[in-house]
Amino acid sequence: MSAKQPIICLQDIEKTFLLGDLTIEVLKGVSLDIGAGEFVALRGVSGSGKSTLMHILGLLDRPTGGRYLLQGEDVAALPDDRLSALRNRLFGFIFQTFHLIPYLSALDNVMLPGLYGATPARQLRRRAQELLSQVGLADRLHFRPGQLSGGQQQRVAMARALLNDPQVLLADEPTGQLDSATSTEIIALLKTIHSQGRTVILVTHDAATAESAEREVLLHDGLVQNR
Amino acid sequence: MTAWSRIAETLRVAWRCAGMARHALWAAKTRSLFVVAGVALGIASLTIIVAAVDGADRKANEMVALFGPDAALVLGGNIQTRAVGQRTLTLSYEDAAALRRSLPGAYLVVPMRSKSNVQVRYGGRVTQVPLVVGTTAGYARAWDWPLSEGRDLSEQDLTHSARVGLIGDTIAQELFGQQSPIGRTVLMDRFPVQIVGRLSYRGVTGGGGPVDDRIIMPITTLTKRFHLDRKYFRALRIKFHHPEYMSEHVANLRSLLRHLHGLRPEQEDDFTILTADEILQFLSTFKGGLVLFLGVTALVAMLVGGFVLANLFYLGVDERRAEIGLKMALGAPRWAILVQILLEAVGLTLIGAIFGMFLGIAMGQLLARLGVLEILFSWKVFGFALFASLAIGLIFGLKPARRAASMAPIDALKGS
Repeated sequence: MSAKQPIICLQDIEKTFLLGDLTIEVLKGVSLDIGAGEFVALRGVSGSGKSTLMHILGLLDRPTGGRYLLQGEDVAALPDDRLSALRNRLFGFIFQTFHLIPYLSALDNVMLPGLYGATPARQLRRRAQELLSQVGLADRLHFRPGQLSGGQQQRVAMARALLNDPQVLLADEPTGQLDSATSTEIIALLKTIHSQGRTVILVTHDAATAESAEREVLLHDGLVQNR
Repeated sequence: MTAWSRIAETLRVAWRCAGMARHALWAAKTRSLFVVAGVALGIASLTIIVAAVDGADRKANEMVALFGPDAALVLGGNIQTRAVGQRTLTLSYEDAAALRRSLPGAYLVVPMRSKSNVQVRYGGRVTQVPLVVGTTAGYARAWDWPLSEGRDLSEQDLTHSARVGLIGDTIAQELFGQQSPIGRTVLMDRFPVQIVGRLSYRGVTGGGGPVDDRIIMPITTLTKRFHLDRKYFRALRIKFHHPEYMSEHVANLRSLLRHLHGLRPEQEDDFTILTADEILQFLSTFKGGLVLFLGVTALVAMLVGGFVLANLFYLGVDERRAEIGLKMALGAPRWAILVQILLEAVGLTLIGAIFGMFLGIAMGQLLARLGVLEILFSWKVFGFALFASLAIGLIFGLKPARRAASMAPIDALKGS
């Protein structure tokens, strides 16, 4: 593959929030292409709009201006349930606070995104077990999140993100709550996931963490900094 | 994708939502328990009301069958306007004779007196008979109460004040066991009475007590032996031809009795006429009161259960914003969130219904044992409980479920 096919194409994306009478411009016209199979770090300080941008990329939020072409399709026109289906099949999410369901076992947490699709339950279970072994938790299948360390919880979350074999992995400050040794493990796992041919988008405030990506996009005050 | 495979997929997701609902309910045990308890109390009241209304219906039908659609019972005194000290002994033998002679359509006029709590002895056995009825010939015929052995009282028994009697089935069992009572002589308060007939077992409680523990004697014998008033008796049983003209029969009976008693138009009746219709009317009034009282109770109890559910679910949905947001982020469509919350609500109300039914049945049995209510359990109870609990779950679960489903995924996710 010579030129990487852009899977995500943002054109002048704007996002404003209304806080009473106050209008807050968080994104002021972000244009960005991300090719299939890229490993991109979105870096910026707190308040730069990087999380908002990630939510828009992940179809969790809609922009108030600009165009978002996902695989060439404008997502603005798509209804909510179609967005749900795209999130389900195309994206995997990893969050800073893990967002595991506390009363479900690691295995059930990993299976969660599969339950809204058509894959038979037995197949889902097998896939979840495989993924948990790949992240080194084969002996923790039936542990609840509360019985796992932070690093282990984040690895459960990564296995969950991979369950539906998504093309794009969105990681929002995945190491924000972890110590440096565990962070290194998580970054190594992200690299492995990238090496499997997936697009990885890593949101971070930390320059060192951002270094692990192939490309760094610096966000400042709602705009992409050109360097 | 064809329509069928889309439906199949939707059903599969809905089924998986049920699994998630189960996990979520189990995770919130205390909350779930409150909802179940609230709904169970409502369903228990509903169970009792349905069973009690069915029981009252059965009882009404039994009482009417027992009374007979072609019969009237005249009681001395006016039970509706019974004034203090008003005489209840207003029916005389002259009245009975006059009715026999001149009441059109009547083929049987049987006066009755009774004496309560008489000791009866046979051999070494003693029993207390709650009711000894004195009557004329044809008691079994007048009450459609066939004899299982022996004969009915005859005119000769009456004219000779014969010391004979009919025996109720329960007393016969107590005194004679498996043996036939016919021809044997029992002692009633130390005077001997020969049993000539045995009434078949009826088992029904006509207006309260059991009916199979009585002894029937000629009214003349009873009056003499127990030194009762010789002129008056307490009640009069009349059987008519052509029951389709019962209202006319009753009108004739009333005007004839008023004439015999010399009542002026402005005076109230000094007697009371009961017919199957009257009994049904009285029972349906009673049933109406029952339905109203228990119905309001059940409604309030179920509404309370519903509000407990709505309230706890509303709070629960707020507490679970992060979980709901996460599910949406992972690709749950809005309808799947709605279905899960609704299934949680309906699941709890159905469990409540099961507990409620058992509770209701237990309380119903208790009330029936205590003789407070007549109870009849049927599949109707089951159907009502199931339907009511489904309705509570759907109605009171809908608002919280819609609230959950309408959350914006990112707001819900950040709301943790």
